[in-house]
Amino acid sequence: MIKFLSNAWSNFKEYVILCLLVILSLILLSQNQNQKVQKVRAIAFGSFSTVTSVFSNLFSSARITEENEELRKANAELMMQISKLREYGITNEQLRGLIGLKDTANLPLIPATVVSKSLSLTQHTITLNAGLKDSVKPGMPVVNYSGLIGMVHSSSENFSIVRTLKNVDLKLTVKNERSRIHGIMKWDGEEFIIVNIPKTYDFEIGDRIITSELSSIVPVPLPVGLVQEIDDVETEVFKRIKVRPFVDLLSVENLFIVGIVNSTQKQNLELNFYR
Amino acid sequence: MNWRQLIPLIIFFPLLLLQVTIIPLISIESIIPDLLLIAVVYYSILHGQIYGTILGSIYGILFDLIAGSLLGSSMLSKTVAGFIAGYYSSETKRDQYLNSYSFTFVIFLCALTDTAIYSFFSAWDFNINLFRILFNYSLLPSIYTTIISSIVLIIPYKKGFN
Repeated sequence: MIKFLSNAWSNFKEYVILCLLVILSLILLSQNQNQKVQKVRAIAFGSFSTVTSVFSNLFSSARITEENEELRKANAELMMQISKLREYGITNEQLRGLIGLKDTANLPLIPATVVSKSLSLTQHTITLNAGLKDSVKPGMPVVNYSGLIGMVHSSSENFSIVRTLKNVDLKLTVKNERSRIHGIMKWDGEEFIIVNIPKTYDFEIGDRIITSELSSIVPVPLPVGLVQEIDDVETEVFKRIKVRPFVDLLSVENLFIVGIVNSTQKQNLELNFYR
Repeated sequence: MNWRQLIPLIIFFPLLLLQVTIIPLISIESIIPDLLLIAVVYYSILHGQIYGTILGSIYGILFDLIAGSLLGSSMLSKTVAGFIAGYYSSETKRDQYLNSYSFTFVIFLCALTDTAIYSFFSAWDFNINLFRILFNYSLLPSIYTTIISSIVLIIPYKKGFN
């Protein structure tokens, strides 16, 4: 028996090692949500990001002039919008006061910079230099001046990994700002699409898409993108809406983490319906 | 094991640093070359199949942990890629594979396998056409990795990484 095993090992050791490592990988694949695995991951990317942040600072300073120019332009546009919105805000506050609605608009913003990017067509992630120490928690939305970028996936003491919109695992409840119709938007590896929209629903090219208050991930309205194309195949029941995001996800450098996580109290209450 | 076999482990972190900071600057529509795969294939041809398989799994798991991708997906894909590259590691043909354009062929084959397996686990969706997965997520990144890997041929391997 020992001789047989010894012969088998010497003849097939490459295959035995391959099988063992493949099995180990499959076990790890099934343990992705495990808390202990998440902790190990937080330590690993936290340590590595410390080095990366020094390195990325060198490169980001080279592009700072170009970015300053863009920010100045955005700032000027925003200044004009603010004065207009301030007027609307005062009216809105008065009207909300009259009908007794609670104000949910004051959201804390945590500034952060991208220290590394893991580009993949399906699993696009970025690492930010803000972590648990800055009160960043998994589940918080990440934005810049153009709109939504993604969600914090995991955090270490000083760094966080963000799943951007270009990640097949991130599916968002969004709505059409004009027609108020809701839908699920996802990245299919090539484009952003809102799926399973009945043909009778009102969508037009150029409509603004924002996150929906129904979303369990981003419960505040944040700009996402514009309707770019509507696929309306005659033989199919639903239409597919293609969306062009406001944010250029490949060039994001400075951004903000919105300091909110979805209320567990609200989530528990909603889940009661399924019990 | 001699000290030369430890070099790939030492160069992992500088390579990963390049992969996550500089390589995104040369991305084409989110398609980027995979430096880690090039290293796995190179050292697999240099040191043999078992070495390549184990190196692939170590590079893969470290990448999964640090980059935030689905844990186990890169480990699986790079393990298989290292194993396949090991087939081109015979004593007589090693020089031929490392010093000629055959290296880019091995890279292409391994990159195709690596990205196909990775995509299967990270992007599988019944609504997505299998052909499209293979073309967009596998073929295009493999071609880019193959093009970048030709740089390795400029470095004489005995003076370079060995």
